[in-house]
Amino acid sequence: MRAEVLRGHVDLLLLATLREGPLHGYGIVESLRSASAGAFDLAEGTVYPALYRLEAAGLLSSRWTKAAGRRRRVYELTRHGRGELARSRDEWRSFANAVEAVVT
Amino acid sequence: MIELYLDALNRELVDVGIPIRLRRRILAEAEDHLRADDGALERFGTPAEIANEFAAEIGARASRRAAVGAFVALGFAGAVYAISFVGAAFAGHPQPDTWPFLAQLALVTVIVAPQVSFVAGSLALVRVLRQRAPVLPSTELTVINRRTGIALVFGLVTMAALALLAFELRDDSAGWWVGLTLVGVAVATPLLVLAALPAAVAARLRPRVAGEPGDLFDDLGFGRTDPWRFAGLVAIGLGLVVFLVAAVQGDPFDGAINGTAEALACFAGFAALGRYLGFRR
Repeated sequence: MRAEVLRGHVDLLLLATLREGPLHGYGIVESLRSASAGAFDLAEGTVYPALYRLEAAGLLSSRWTKAAGRRRRVYELTRHGRGELARSRDEWRSFANAVEAVVT
Repeated sequence: MIELYLDALNRELVDVGIPIRLRRRILAEAEDHLRADDGALERFGTPAEIANEFAAEIGARASRRAAVGAFVALGFAGAVYAISFVGAAFAGHPQPDTWPFLAQLALVTVIVAPQVSFVAGSLALVRVLRQRAPVLPSTELTVINRRTGIALVFGLVTMAALALLAFELRDDSAGWWVGLTLVGVAVATPLLVLAALPAAVAARLRPRVAGEPGDLFDDLGFGRTDPWRFAGLVAIGLGLVVFLVAAVQGDPFDGAINGTAEALACFAGFAALGRYLGFRR
């Protein structure tokens, strides 16, 4: 899928990926790739600016952990983030249903 | 290979002005990611791309925060200025033409500088309130940062001139006015310096995001016309206000001189700073 198509939906995809629990950046990218069967194949480094923005907006929180002797930053949804995910998901469903109704 | 990539990423992050603390975090996360999988390096994106994404993501927020912070600090400095200005009428000053040279210079400065500061600071705030997108074009950020910077510099110049005025007139003015002014300046100046710190951080960020900045008419939100004609009308309007105020107080001759000076200063300010501050393209 083209990066510019994906770009408008990155926030929702990242929030949705974290709904099951905390993940680090690489884990988020892997989860996104496997859930989309490889369709969402974006430049992996571009996930980090988006994560930082979502954290600054209070939708995610993050903390350092240690794994394999390396520092690892783990992200999780905040309460505000869960609310935003629910709202964005409803919005997306309405939009997708409307598009589906028009194009099929 | 990973070390080379991280070195390149660090250089790019420095180039776009990412603060050191965030830079360390980005590099640590990138290293963890790249060491997790042999193929991650090819899929990670170029260092320039990642650095630019970060600068773009934080640029708009940093400029907004700086503009709002500056406006708050300038609001306090404005209150100090207003209190000192009103108090001056009761402080028993001699006529300005008898003042020492430095006091006369300070008087001109405390008349001109706060106007530049107020216009630049207000329009920086208006621009950030109007431009709500999470990522803004680089040229737009430049305009916001310049307005914030000019507002703060002229705010500091105003405070310095006010202190100089009080100091120079200390023997010919009421002690309470001198004390009030100096204390007010002593409190407002650190606030302005504090507000300058986020402004400096915002100005250091240099994302490359395409797009044109708006102009004065985008800020004000009403009909577009020739910017020079608009500046001329505003200058004439301001000059008239100054003249009318003086005329009502029974001094139309001085009012005419001051009104003309005000109009010329306003128009000269537009000519000198208009393009720099994004009033015209």
